[in-house]
Amino acid sequence: MGADSGPGAPAAVPWRKVLYERQPFPDNYVDRRFLEELRRNIRVRQYRYWAVVRETGLIAQQVSCVAVFFTLWSYMEQGELVPSAVLWVCLGCALLGYGLYEILGGFCVRERTRLADLQSATIFLAFTFGFSPVLKTLTESVSTDTVHAMSAVMLLAHLVSFPYAQPSPPGSLSLNAALFGSVCLASRLPGALHTFTMLSCALLVFALWPCLLHRVRERAEWSFPWAAVLVCLAGVGGLGSLWPEGALLLSLALLTLTLVCPLLLVHLQRHKDNIHGPWDEAEIREDLSRFLN
Amino acid sequence: MVLKIFFPQCCNTADSGLLVGRWIPGHNSAVVLAVIHYPFIPGQVKKYLSELQSQTQVDLTVLGSWSMPKEGQEGMDSFLKDLSTIFPQECWLQLSREIGKRGFTCQVVQNNGRLLQEQKNGDDKIVLIHYDQRKVMLSQLHPVQDVGQKSDVEASELRLVFQTVAQSQPLFLLDKYDDGPLKLSHWQSEGREASIIAELLKQASVPVCIFLTWLLSLWHWLCSFRILHLRPVLFISSKLSTCVQSGYRAVHFKTVFSPKKAATHMEFMRYTSICYFFVLFLVLLAQWLTRKIKNGLSCRKELQELLEWLMGAPAGLKMNRALDQVLGRFFLYHIHLWISYIHLMSPFIERILWYVGLSGCLGLTFALSILSDIVALLTFHIYCFYVYGARLYCLKIYGLSSLWRLFRGKKWNVLRQRVDSCSYDLDQLFIGTLLFTILLFLLPTTALYYLVFTLLRLVMVLFQGVIHLSVDFINSLPLFAIGLRICRPYRLAEGVKFKVLCQEPGTPLHLMMEINPLKCSSVLQCYRTPTYSCYPKDSWAALCKKLFVGELIYPWKQKTAKTD
Repeated sequence: MGADSGPGAPAAVPWRKVLYERQPFPDNYVDRRFLEELRRNIRVRQYRYWAVVRETGLIAQQVSCVAVFFTLWSYMEQGELVPSAVLWVCLGCALLGYGLYEILGGFCVRERTRLADLQSATIFLAFTFGFSPVLKTLTESVSTDTVHAMSAVMLLAHLVSFPYAQPSPPGSLSLNAALFGSVCLASRLPGALHTFTMLSCALLVFALWPCLLHRVRERAEWSFPWAAVLVCLAGVGGLGSLWPEGALLLSLALLTLTLVCPLLLVHLQRHKDNIHGPWDEAEIREDLSRFLN
Repeated sequence: MVLKIFFPQCCNTADSGLLVGRWIPGHNSAVVLAVIHYPFIPGQVKKYLSELQSQTQVDLTVLGSWSMPKEGQEGMDSFLKDLSTIFPQECWLQLSREIGKRGFTCQVVQNNGRLLQEQKNGDDKIVLIHYDQRKVMLSQLHPVQDVGQKSDVEASELRLVFQTVAQSQPLFLLDKYDDGPLKLSHWQSEGREASIIAELLKQASVPVCIFLTWLLSLWHWLCSFRILHLRPVLFISSKLSTCVQSGYRAVHFKTVFSPKKAATHMEFMRYTSICYFFVLFLVLLAQWLTRKIKNGLSCRKELQELLEWLMGAPAGLKMNRALDQVLGRFFLYHIHLWISYIHLMSPFIERILWYVGLSGCLGLTFALSILSDIVALLTFHIYCFYVYGARLYCLKIYGLSSLWRLFRGKKWNVLRQRVDSCSYDLDQLFIGTLLFTILLFLLPTTALYYLVFTLLRLVMVLFQGVIHLSVDFINSLPLFAIGLRICRPYRLAEGVKFKVLCQEPGTPLHLMMEINPLKCSSVLQCYRTPTYSCYPKDSWAALCKKLFVGELIYPWKQKTAKTD
């Protein structure tokens, strides 16, 4: 039953694409305008290599963040870092970051008051400090291998589920996984103060740093690649001071991620074959918020 | 059509006379109940029969004549034929027996004088069925139907026969030593048996019953005090099985001691079953109970050892040491309190137990209930431990499930009863994750304590369940019916069976009817008294789910008459 080829196709009455009218054509008849609304690959974006490389910097810096955290933990476990010193440094970094956040925000209208921020900070600190003795003895009876494995899995989950497209409110699963992994690691440290310090670091690295980075990207686009490169170097360097082979592996991984993967992405675009047509699901394009007022 | 004549065995050797009985309506059969001997005055016979008819509601009539000629009574035959004119009937039976012969001869005369059946080779047959009158009178045909029901037409022939014999009891009161105008032959015509003791007991039972009913009303008046209807008292008394049993026992007493007679056969059986359960257990029970409880008091050492074992590393499981110590110390302190309490009470316990044992005279079931309650009271601390452990575990599971949803970034939508995504604040996420980690790692410790105490509690529940089931079983057992079935099987009849006695040509067929007693399983099924049976409240799947989640389990539910 091709177009215009059926024997039962009278040429007098043209076929109309309507459903409600009885026409002298068979039910599966189509005319020459069949599939003329088919479109291919209309939404394919043309990627440019260096732009993609720039975006990949986010992923690379997140991996390096995890490496930095791991370095900190190793040093604290070996006892080479004094927890009180680390705490002071953390506090300093936090204040610095907060100031930077404010400056980059431009002192415009904020959705949270400073009092709310202070409240949040107090709650964090109080809770963590109060629970740190409990957290310290949490994994005493669990074997070291299990603890390490759990932390590794959780940090990997954090990396995988991180909302790279919209990192400013960090996604629930990624943040929770990172915190769970850091609690597992922190409970292996020698003292309650160590645990407290580790958790504060984790909070800084996993919860607050992505917000700051996002603000930097929004306001000062030019400084984002430098920040990413800095973090990557810190990660590689820190890991190198512990385990040189690991640093080598990490740098290899970062290079692959940053340079090779975008190449693959651009290269594979030509195999894309999406078809679109009037049969797609309808998408609401207009802004419905006008109904709210 | 076969004519069936039910003939009592006791009249096989009776002197000649009139046959008195009943024609069964709707069936071609007759039941002979007695033989009235010569000499008699027909007017008095008719008067007597009408008196009995009004007394028993059975339509007794003269069925025919019976002749067993002895020496010197040769001229009876013609006399017998003339009798049919005095007592006009539709059918007149003429049974006769000769000494030395086994079979009877029978002739049936219709009311228009025609001789209906000749016993040569007639097509119509007569069957004579011999029955033991006393047994049939006392027997009850199952399934039981009340006499008052209007089912004479639908009732089977056998049932009508049994009913006729049973209802004609006043007919059998005249024996041959009476000085009345009529001389009857039936199963009791040799003289009625009576024993002085039975008569005295019967006479004495009425005032005793009245007295006991008064005592019972006093007890009811005591129980109706307002103070006993407060909620805490009601709650406790609904939990103690002794109170339930005593209430049940009071109901029993009320039915047994009431002076009115049992209306139907079923009620009669129930009353007599109740009477057989008052067994005396006085001294033995008290001593036995005291010994048991002394043993029970010393078993808390095992519980202490169990807790110490839990506080170590039980079965090599990795427990969180700090939490372990906390929980273990808490429960040990609880046991310490309990021990001090028992030491305080021990001087009084023996005396209390003695008096408690005395109350075992109210029956074996009462004693079992008391045992169950005493065991429950003694293991109250195990119940407390179970509740603590279960509540802690339940809280932990609830918290964990909620925080797991937070971990994934989801939330329980109460309105839609489903899980929805939710964007949490930073501090909510942080604290939620911390708590989730803590709860997760403390789960094995709590779960172990919960498991241990739940197992202990299940053992107690099982024990109580066994006692309750046995109490129910004893309560519902129809002991009297079973005793009847064993000792006097003819009283509970399921049916009859026939044995051929004599089958000679020229005489009707003689069959012997014997009563088939009811099967034991049918006895149990028919006469079981309904009781407060307790049965499991949840199915196995629901029970397992409750255990897993940490809900408190109360697996036995009592089927009570009223709900409040």
